[in-house]
Amino acid sequence: MADIALSRVEDHEAVRASRRRGWTRAVIYGLLTVFALIYVIPLLVVVFNAFRAQPEIARNGLIAFPQSFQPDAWVAAWDNYCIGGTCQGMKRYFYNSLLMTIPATIISTLLGAMNGYILSKWRFKGSDVLFTCMLLGVFMPGQIALMPWAFILGKVGLSNSVYGLVLIHVVQGISFTTLFCRNYYVSIPDDLIKAARIDGAGFWRIFFKIILPLSPPILIVTVIWQFTGIWNEYLFGVVFTSGTQQPITAALVALTASGTTASAYDVMSAAVLIGAIPPLLVYFLGGKYFVRGLTQGAIK
Amino acid sequence: MSLERASATRPRLFGGRRLGELVPIIVLAPSLIASFIYVFVFSIWTLYIAMSNSSLLPSYGFVGLSNFESLWANRRWNIAYTNLFFFSGFYIVGSMLVGLLLAILIDQKVRGESVWRTIFLYPLAVSFIVTGTVWSWLYNPVDGIQALVRSFGWTDFSFALASDRNYAIWAIIITGIWQSSGFAMALFLAGLRSVDGDIIRAAQIDGASTFRTYRKVILPSIAPIFLAVAVVQIQFAIKTFDLVVALTRGGPGVSTTFPAIYVYDLMFQRGQIGEGAAAAIMMLAALAVVLVPYSLFLVWRRNKEVRNG
Amino acid sequence: MTFRMKAVSCTGIITFALLTGTAFAEPKTLMLHQWATGSDAAAIAKLGEMFEEAGGTWEQTAIAGHTANTLAKLRADVISGNAPAAVQLKGPEIAEWNETGMTANLDDLAAEEGWEDTVAPELLPVMKPEGSWVAAPMNIHRINWLWGSPAVMEEAGVAEMPKTWAEFNEACDKVVAIGKICLSHSTADWTDSTVFEVVVYGMDIDLYRQAFVEGDVDALRSDGMIAALEQFRKMTSEYMDPGMVGRDWDTMSHLVGNGEAAFHIMGDWTIGLLTAGGFEQGTDYVCAQAPTDWGQPGFILNADSVVFFQQNDPDYVEGQQLLASTILSPEFQTIFNQAKGSIPARLDVDLSEGFNPCQQIAQADLQASIDAGTLVRSMAHNMTIPQAQRGAIMDMVTEFVSVADMSAEEAANAMADAVEAQM
Repeated sequence: MADIALSRVEDHEAVRASRRRGWTRAVIYGLLTVFALIYVIPLLVVVFNAFRAQPEIARNGLIAFPQSFQPDAWVAAWDNYCIGGTCQGMKRYFYNSLLMTIPATIISTLLGAMNGYILSKWRFKGSDVLFTCMLLGVFMPGQIALMPWAFILGKVGLSNSVYGLVLIHVVQGISFTTLFCRNYYVSIPDDLIKAARIDGAGFWRIFFKIILPLSPPILIVTVIWQFTGIWNEYLFGVVFTSGTQQPITAALVALTASGTTASAYDVMSAAVLIGAIPPLLVYFLGGKYFVRGLTQGAIK
Repeated sequence: MSLERASATRPRLFGGRRLGELVPIIVLAPSLIASFIYVFVFSIWTLYIAMSNSSLLPSYGFVGLSNFESLWANRRWNIAYTNLFFFSGFYIVGSMLVGLLLAILIDQKVRGESVWRTIFLYPLAVSFIVTGTVWSWLYNPVDGIQALVRSFGWTDFSFALASDRNYAIWAIIITGIWQSSGFAMALFLAGLRSVDGDIIRAAQIDGASTFRTYRKVILPSIAPIFLAVAVVQIQFAIKTFDLVVALTRGGPGVSTTFPAIYVYDLMFQRGQIGEGAAAAIMMLAALAVVLVPYSLFLVWRRNKEVRNG
Repeated sequence: MTFRMKAVSCTGIITFALLTGTAFAEPKTLMLHQWATGSDAAAIAKLGEMFEEAGGTWEQTAIAGHTANTLAKLRADVISGNAPAAVQLKGPEIAEWNETGMTANLDDLAAEEGWEDTVAPELLPVMKPEGSWVAAPMNIHRINWLWGSPAVMEEAGVAEMPKTWAEFNEACDKVVAIGKICLSHSTADWTDSTVFEVVVYGMDIDLYRQAFVEGDVDALRSDGMIAALEQFRKMTSEYMDPGMVGRDWDTMSHLVGNGEAAFHIMGDWTIGLLTAGGFEQGTDYVCAQAPTDWGQPGFILNADSVVFFQQNDPDYVEGQQLLASTILSPEFQTIFNQAKGSIPARLDVDLSEGFNPCQQIAQADLQASIDAGTLVRSMAHNMTIPQAQRGAIMDMVTEFVSVADMSAEEAANAMADAVEAQM
């Protein structure tokens, strides 16, 4: 019964199919446009404000099209706005963040690749349990780890330094990078490895000659993930560095948390954008590979 | 060479393994030890502190469960814990639904796919500090969307989510979904792309509508992805901190306090490290409710994979 | 140069120098504080300049935003074994950290420079929690200020700044009648608590002392507290506007300057905010003591101070002496407080030049309230009870503001219960 009814309906639909297709396309693009606007407008608001002068913002509110484009706020935010008592803008903090993010990203990604390789291709008794334990690291809330980290950094002499932050981000990042890489490597056929081993290739040779050349998609995923995550982290950045070594998020918090003077929305907006540029760049450049890398197995 | 010969003549070390086979374990060891300290030592230390008389600095006088008692007697903590579950539920389901919808839309062979994808994905690249700051402007009743719409002539328009204590949590949920639905979209899109084309064609040949194909064929085959997305979102949800700090600072009143904020306030601002640690342990307990079944599931699935060869 | 001489001549240093054989340590310091932006940052930059002029090497870590961030940093540093040389800390926190035994003793310097005779007496128990100087006070803030807009008052027919809460309510009814905001506000735990403590203080000074200085639970539950909460409810529901939620706190005083609101209750840093907004004292705004029902000069005091943690490096030990000496110098107290809106912690500084008239009034009122015995320290600004109890009270006050149907009785009991749970 149901089948007959269904096929009758489908006959009707076949007749109207072409008209419907036009409608469906319109609905699809319509929905996409609505969502795209919702996603883009907050960004546009900041971009506009970064080009509007503060008096104009005070007069016309935060959401408005710029009446004239002023680059002053950008210059101030980058070069000479006073943050934390020193009037050198964001540039120093920007540099600090790079100094922290790049090594931490590279080290945690490489470790993740090796761990993933071992946990997928060199399994041993108990390796799955160990993997699950490492996975738990993904879920640790930062507030819990703060005090133990302070203790450890003090013991190893890395407190108040960028290297301490690199260590923290590497350890906290291993869980994620290992998870991504392991799941990706699982989909590489074991026969490939077996064949190589029969040819006499050892652990490292297989890693460098077979696994790494197959890895770019997943390495891009982990690099994007780690880079943006580490760049945007602020709690550890604030607590474990001091003075001239603080990362950019610390400066952003300093700017956006209202001080005792009237908010300078123009400079704040420019600073917010400067702080967002590197991770945005990474996304814009790597976004295509991000989805592709995920498609190829990061999500198993 | 000599090493190999030596190991061949001697009784085998390490349960019959050759030295070369230990390399993986040696390479893995530092990460394992670091993760073990990070996860277990830190948690156990926190658990101990939760049962200590720590105040300004950690100290080790044992006081049993009294920190937990005063924690649960606290109105603000109860609100925070309730918020965590309320927020997590709507945030996770919401970002999955939006993400799935976007992924399906993009999957309809639309033009300019990479542009759409980039637009939906970019919020994830931006820190919560930035997101929170911008959205707090939008929610601001005097300067934000409400003022904008009213200036167009609709003077009764009301959009002050963040400033009404009954709705402020929704401001956080909406912003959270805005931030992370792109990631859900990417994962779902990846999943949709990985579905075997033959199954879809078969369904289409059978005359199934697009909607029906998705409901009956495609979505069931990407079921594991729902789980993966959920797990990633849960860890975002439980760690929610920066977003709330930047958006509502826990207010109005204490209506949008979250456990992470409570822990931070007590441990670091108010010098009540013991009770703060107790709150942290309750956060871990909430995680365990989700994670223990998930870990068991993973181990079970792995065993099944192994059994099936 | 004179500061350096002083510091070097300090007995502690000489003893230290003799013991270690280090004759000429280079004074250095690293100060942790939360004045990261605006006039605060400018004021603290002055401290750095003076410190360097005196021969020191100045470094600072400014952590903006929530005080929790500064304290988190301090705790992390202490736990990792690198306690900072100097930290901005205040009120009961000075005593709490003093109990850890890690703070440096400033008695010798204080005796030499005669701090005892010049610093406001109300600050002494805070700076010397167990009889020894461990903190250097930078300023005195007055909390109980009422800022008024002459334009709005005239329009509403309010002749003068209200002196009692009854007069205040009367004035507000007139202001509301002409469609203006009576009390400009931005809700947050600390702003709500600031206004509320001014109300309690103004209605019943004894109740203020019992409840907010001694943390007495019965006082928190008392009828007087319920009456104060009812007055506060009247203010939040009738005299404040709905825009108080989500408004930036640093612009709330501008409503008075702009002539959109009649009054504003907030501490003296409002002067800095109003000046930054381009408003003039006398024409755009006026200041007066916040209403009291007991007809005497009153003063709710808040003070910023710097605490020094013990250091091993002789450079930093010497830097601490130099920094403390710099902070207590009349020159610094003048420059810093001109920028910040507060008044010097030393009572012997002349405010007749370069200070805002409101600051001059504050100094006179401070002395008058000391004479009248009405000077109190601020609970909302962390000068009295421990953080745990203060936090519990502030949570309840801000809840009371945001839950419109919470009764005064309910709030008083909840406040008392919350404090009791923290004892």
